[in-house]
Parts: sequence; C-alpha cells; structure tokens
Amino acid sequence: MRTNSLTRYGMGCRKVLGFMLFTMAFVLWTGPAMAHRVTIFAWVEGDKIFTESKFSGGKRVNQGDVIVYDSEGNQLLKGKTDDKGEFSFEIPKKTSLKIVLMAGMGHRGEWTIPVSELEDVAGPQIEITSSRKAVRKKTGKPPEVSHLSSNEIRLTVEEAIDKRLKPVMKILVALRENRPTFRDIFGGIGYILGLVGIAAYFNYRRKSAEIGGKKTD
Amino acid sequence: MHISEGILSGPVLISGIALAAAGTAIGLKKLDYDRIPRAAILSAAFFVASLIHVPVGPSSVHLILNGIVGLILGWGAFPVILVALTLQAILFQFGGITTLGVNTVIMALPAVFCYYLFGRLVGKRPRIALPAAFVCGALSVFLGAVMVGLALMFTEENFLKVSYLVVIAHLPVMIIEGTVTAFCVAFLKKVQPDMLRE
Repeated sequence: MRTNSLTRYGMGCRKVLGFMLFTMAFVLWTGPAMAHRVTIFAWVEGDKIFTESKFSGGKRVNQGDVIVYDSEGNQLLKGKTDDKGEFSFEIPKKTSLKIVLMAGMGHRGEWTIPVSELEDVAGPQIEITSSRKAVRKKTGKPPEVSHLSSNEIRLTVEEAIDKRLKPVMKILVALRENRPTFRDIFGGIGYILGLVGIAAYFNYRRKSAEIGGKKTD
Repeated sequence: MHISEGILSGPVLISGIALAAAGTAIGLKKLDYDRIPRAAILSAAFFVASLIHVPVGPSSVHLILNGIVGLILGWGAFPVILVALTLQAILFQFGGITTLGVNTVIMALPAVFCYYLFGRLVGKRPRIALPAAFVCGALSVFLGAVMVGLALMFTEENFLKVSYLVVIAHLPVMIIEGTVTAFCVAFLKKVQPDMLRE
C-alpha cells in the first residue's frame, strides 16, 4: 500500500517536473524579450547633452521625466523624453551632472557626466563664437581660412569628430543594455538547487542526530 | 513590479526589510523539509517568469506568478519570493538590493492573503476551484499593484494616481496570470491533488 502510494507520488512528481520543464522551455524559447529595468545613457555633443532612455530589451521610454542635478544635488533642469526616448538640453553649468530618469511606477535610471567631459567643450566654444563675431563685425565678412586661429581649427575638428562619433555612440548605447542571458537564467536556477541541497544537508544531519540519540538511549 | 533603488525613503525601506524578515521567518518555520522541493520549483518559476514581458503604455510589465506561489505554499511564499528576487536583483539587475525587503513584501503579502482567501476553495470541485484560481491569480497581481502605490505614496507621488497607473498597466498581466493560475490548478488537480490541500 505504502509503496503503491509512493510510486504514485513519484509518477506525479515526474509529471509535475515534465510540466515545469515544458514551461521553462516555452519561456526560454520565447526568449528573454524584455527586462524590468530602465537605463539612461547621456553623452556630450558640442554644447549640448543628448540622452537616450530605454527599458532594457529596447522599448523606448516615452514621456519619462529627466531631471538634471549638479554635483551638490541641486536641480538644474527638468524635461520629458519624446516617443523615441530621447531628450537633449544645453549644458546648464560646468559641473559634473547627474542625470536621473524617472520612468514612473518606481522605475529609475541614472547616468553621471563627469566635469572633465564638459571642460573641453563648453568653455572655449563660447569664447570662439564671440571672437568669430568680433572678426565678422570688423571686416563685415566671414574670416578667411588663413586667419583661422588654432582655437577655431580645434572647434571644427571637434565638430567633425562629434559627427563621425554619433553612430559609434549609438552602438555603445545598444551595447550597454545587458539583457539577461541564458547564463544568468541557469545560474539563478542553479543557486536555487544549491539552496535545496543546503536544506537537504541540514535535514540529513538532524535526522542522523535523532537516530544517533535513539541508539545511545 | 520591482521598485528601483534610490526612489524610496529610508523609513519605507527599513519597514519593508522588517516586514519581509518577519514573513520569511514565519515562512521558514512553516516550510518543513518535505515541501522544500516544491518551494524550489516555484522559486525557479517565479525567478524566470519575470522575463515574460507585456509592453504596456510608457512602461512594460511582466508575469509575476505570486498567486500560484501563495496558493501552494501559503506563508512559504515569503522565503521563496525573497530568494527569487535576490537572484533577479543580482543577475538581471531588476529592482535592487536595498529595495529587496519592500519588493518582497509587495509580492509576497498578496500571495499569503490570497492563500487564506482561496486556499480551501481550490481543493473543491473544479467548478468552484477553477474560477477561484483565476480570481486568485488576478487578485494577487492587483494587490501587488496597490502595494506599489502604498510604497511610493510616502516618497513623492500621489497614492491613488500611482496605484491607478500600476493597476491599469497590470490589467493584461492580471488576466494572463489568472488564466495561468487556473491552468496550473487544473493540471495539479489531475496529477497531484495533494499539493492543493494541506
């Protein structure tokens, strides 16, 4: 009777296990499509900062709040992402900027731009535009090529590099979202099995201690 | 339904950790060794379920499966969900380590609640058990959404507004989870009816 119920239990277990394996196969097959996490990536281009926000897996954050703080935590500006998850703004202050994305319902992402990235860009540019204006005012026409100052050459080069780097930046953004891999999934399941092993170990020790105790009695 | 790090205030985080610790202690006490394999399978299912996603509006939501976990394990849902959430936080970067307590309470408390409401009903005839299982799956997600609203209420956002948003976003998940829970119960009634009765 007892063995009978035991085999029945075993068969039931096998069926349950089969069902679980099937569900798991289904899950893995449909793939880790999206993850419950939100990321924001920001980079400097000219005198502007561009940001791109997405839920990992690729869905863009539409109408998420982007809040920019300076290094002391004061709020500098606030905006909303468009339907492509993008939001850009002019550099408000030469300090390291903490850009926080609030995508609603408890989703939050963060990106920091260190002050070193802004130093090269924002300062000289303003000088240059004013010096260029000064030249224009004096002569009434744009400065000739030979009159380009080293600063202006640097600016032109920077502009060209920014333009060329844009696709690279896009690739970097795409690479940054590390979606869960099969390794993560199986690793997690392995941890759970390990915990079962620990429980089994303690149960075994408790049982053998009980038996040992009875023997000495 | 995972709340990210850096949103909640200290008191909310600490009370979340305290509640989760209490629930886990009760759960571990009630989880004798014979039910450990069951708990492990459910923990693995919960861990993987979060990868099945439904894109909704500005956000995206995923399956939770806290209803079925609660239905089968009762208070055992707390340790099971805590383990799965810890692994999700470390491996998938869902939620976060500091919000682990709050997130556990958000998902496990409705599970335990639904266990008390529906635990007995699913042991009955299929005509009663299956609708009960559906409501159990849907209600546990609904209550989880309300818990998110409660947790966020103390920080910045308006309780009713956030709860409303989260509930609306999870409507498709509620229907899917209800169906999944009903199917699981129907399946278990056939092959392993002891699992649904204490």
